[in-house]
Amino acid sequence: MATKKLAFVVRSLPYKTEASRLALTHAIASQTVEIYLNDGDLVEASISYIGDGVLNCLKGQQGGKHYGITTIEGHAKNTLLLDMRVLVCKEDLDKFGLTADNILMDAEDIGGETNANIVSYSEIQKEMETATHLLFC
Amino acid sequence: MSKLTIGTFSSLVGSLSLDFAVKLSEAAVKKGHTVDFWMSGNATMMAKKGQKAFKDYSFLAKTIQELIATGQFKITACEACAEARGYHKEDCPDGMIRKSMDWYLASTFDADRVLHIGGD
Amino acid sequence: MKLAVLMSDYRAGTDILERLSAEKLGIILVGNGVYHAAVKEGGKTSSLLDKQAVFYALTEDFETRGITSENLDSRVKAVNYGDLVDLIFNDYEKIIWL
Repeated sequence: MATKKLAFVVRSLPYKTEASRLALTHAIASQTVEIYLNDGDLVEASISYIGDGVLNCLKGQQGGKHYGITTIEGHAKNTLLLDMRVLVCKEDLDKFGLTADNILMDAEDIGGETNANIVSYSEIQKEMETATHLLFC
Repeated sequence: MSKLTIGTFSSLVGSLSLDFAVKLSEAAVKKGHTVDFWMSGNATMMAKKGQKAFKDYSFLAKTIQELIATGQFKITACEACAEARGYHKEDCPDGMIRKSMDWYLASTFDADRVLHIGGD
Repeated sequence: MKLAVLMSDYRAGTDILERLSAEKLGIILVGNGVYHAAVKEGGKTSSLLDKQAVFYALTEDFETRGITSENLDSRVKAVNYGDLVDLIFNDYEKIIWL
């Protein structure tokens, strides 16, 4: 029985390319990976937003209204609903003048109990060090 | 020998990053390693039969078939990403399969190294 | 951790790279990243090369762009795809793409 940790590190801006969207949907796919593995083996995904990537977390995205697509915000909310570990770089939020009030912090409105964590970059560095594999998007 | 899992979202022809992933796979297989190759997003363009070779454009179809023939290379396309782009099961080249994203995550479980090329 | 960064861009990604730290850090210039190894702007080499790391540049990619191994900064070692496979499996534990 083993658990492998995948750290998805989102650094791309949303919408122009699908890099950050696919990062979230792939991370969410960790929920059904057991069908391929031996009993007790797991793949655990975490998501960290750094650099420009923190802008994926802005609330009030309207991709559905204008382009008919689910928002990155919606996928991000699902990651919290599924109790994934979500880290947002504080230094990068500060650089953009953003606070917890501006970004998606929870999924309470859909029954989620886990919050995103605004942390210093050094915490994200630690997350990378303890992961089995890193997936930068 | 060891296993390398590569996941790529890069476009076929439009980005040489996909060529990089294929050439790296070739080099790894040549050295006796196994490679799992996951195509998602725009990389699913490679899961379409009938690609033509032109001098101006990279042509990966032949290399992919040669890699599949080694038995050390597995190549899988994201079914949803392919369907969204109009590529259906019958369009898939021989030797390629289509799965959902959890296939890729499962592949990383026993990979010695994972390279994720997340975008063009 | 022993981390290999495959740097594929010339203009983007350096901000991310600047903050990465590792017990052993290898920066492998591929794609357009090879320009870091050879191009000078205003007479200055790329500031990326000042980072504490071991530097490599992919021969197939710099030759594609008209750069020869003689043009490479002395801090950068030329490697081919075969060498890259060996670096990935033997020298580094984790690999990322920028």
